Amino acid sequence: MMQTEVTPAESDVSELDLVKKCQAGDSEAFDELVTRYRTRVFGMIYNMIHNEQDAWDLAQDSFLKAWKSIQRFRGQSSFYTWIYRIVMNVTIDWIRKKQVKGSGSEFDDSIQLKEIDPASRTMPKPDALPYEGMQRSEIRARIDQAITQLSPEHRAVILMKEIEEMQYHEIAEALDCSIGTVMSRLFYARKKLQNLLKDVYENI
Amino acid sequence: MKTFEEKWTAWVDDELTGDELVAFEASLPDKTTAQAEKKAAHQLRSLLQRELHAPTMANEEFFSHQLRERMARDEEAEVTRSGGDPSPWWTIGRLLWTGAASLALFLVCAVLVLRDKNPEEQSQYLTEILTAKVDPVGAPDATVSMFESKGDRVTVLWTEGLKSLPSDYAAK
Repeated sequence: MMQTEVTPAESDVSELDLVKKCQAGDSEAFDELVTRYRTRVFGMIYNMIHNEQDAWDLAQDSFLKAWKSIQRFRGQSSFYTWIYRIVMNVTIDWIRKKQVKGSGSEFDDSIQLKEIDPASRTMPKPDALPYEGMQRSEIRARIDQAITQLSPEHRAVILMKEIEEMQYHEIAEALDCSIGTVMSRLFYARKKLQNLLKDVYENI
Repeated sequence: MKTFEEKWTAWVDDELTGDELVAFEASLPDKTTAQAEKKAAHQLRSLLQRELHAPTMANEEFFSHQLRERMARDEEAEVTRSGGDPSPWWTIGRLLWTGAASLALFLVCAVLVLRDKNPEEQSQYLTEILTAKVDPVGAPDATVSMFESKGDRVTVLWTEGLKSLPSDYAAK
């Protein structure tokens, strides 16, 4: 399950109570929720887009949107799943708009589906680099580059599953899709990353 | 019915259990290769968890401060948009009352205008200029009406209930 920044003192006030206060117009209660989730939200967005300033701005937009639509939160899911849904919508929209404005194809699902045979075994690249010779920053760059080649939806599922350690149903709620779709996206996202990063994780 | 991809994902995440696990593993053509794949997926997970640290927010309090300012600005803009009145004037109740009042006013006007514009039994083509009793004593039901069409320069004398028209009759 996803961890939050809740301290023991903060956790005295339940999330639902804070949400109810927000719905009554209490901006300080919302400030409390922001404090609990800002780092997670910022980190999630950063791992999706790899730019600090943009991640900051998108996190701001996400929280602002959450404040404006807090009346629509019915408490059927946890608050963090709800806020993640907003975060994902804002971030995926941003990536898609950027993609439309940009020149080349940063990601291409059709190529991905054609290139990956579900039954095939991922092969190590012949020019695998030994870990000793690879700086940490290089590894990070390789991972970022590989993630960038995934579609926004595939980036979202792999990060929510592997980094945030969210359950399938939580990811499905956050992305407004079925659990089957989440599992299918995870399958292809993993296959693609395994192909792209095989030499990295096998040599560490 | 789960697809192969869904079952594979659940298997990699150790979420397949019982009969489903047995059936899935039995369906794999090469279990050794599949196990190697699973191990690779776990290695990938470890790599991502180890390396994907987002940079810490340099100034978390400033983030919240900036957000509070944006929320306040947004609220001000909202108030300005609604004409300085923080409460929305056009509530649903007011809209309903206004709509009903407008409809009633329209109906009253329409009835008045139609009644004026539609005098009874009037010809669409001729203007009635006179209706008179011919002989209240000898022929009480007899009437004579005169119509005029100015466009066609025609005057029509319409008599009803008369057996004959007296030669010395002149409409008054």
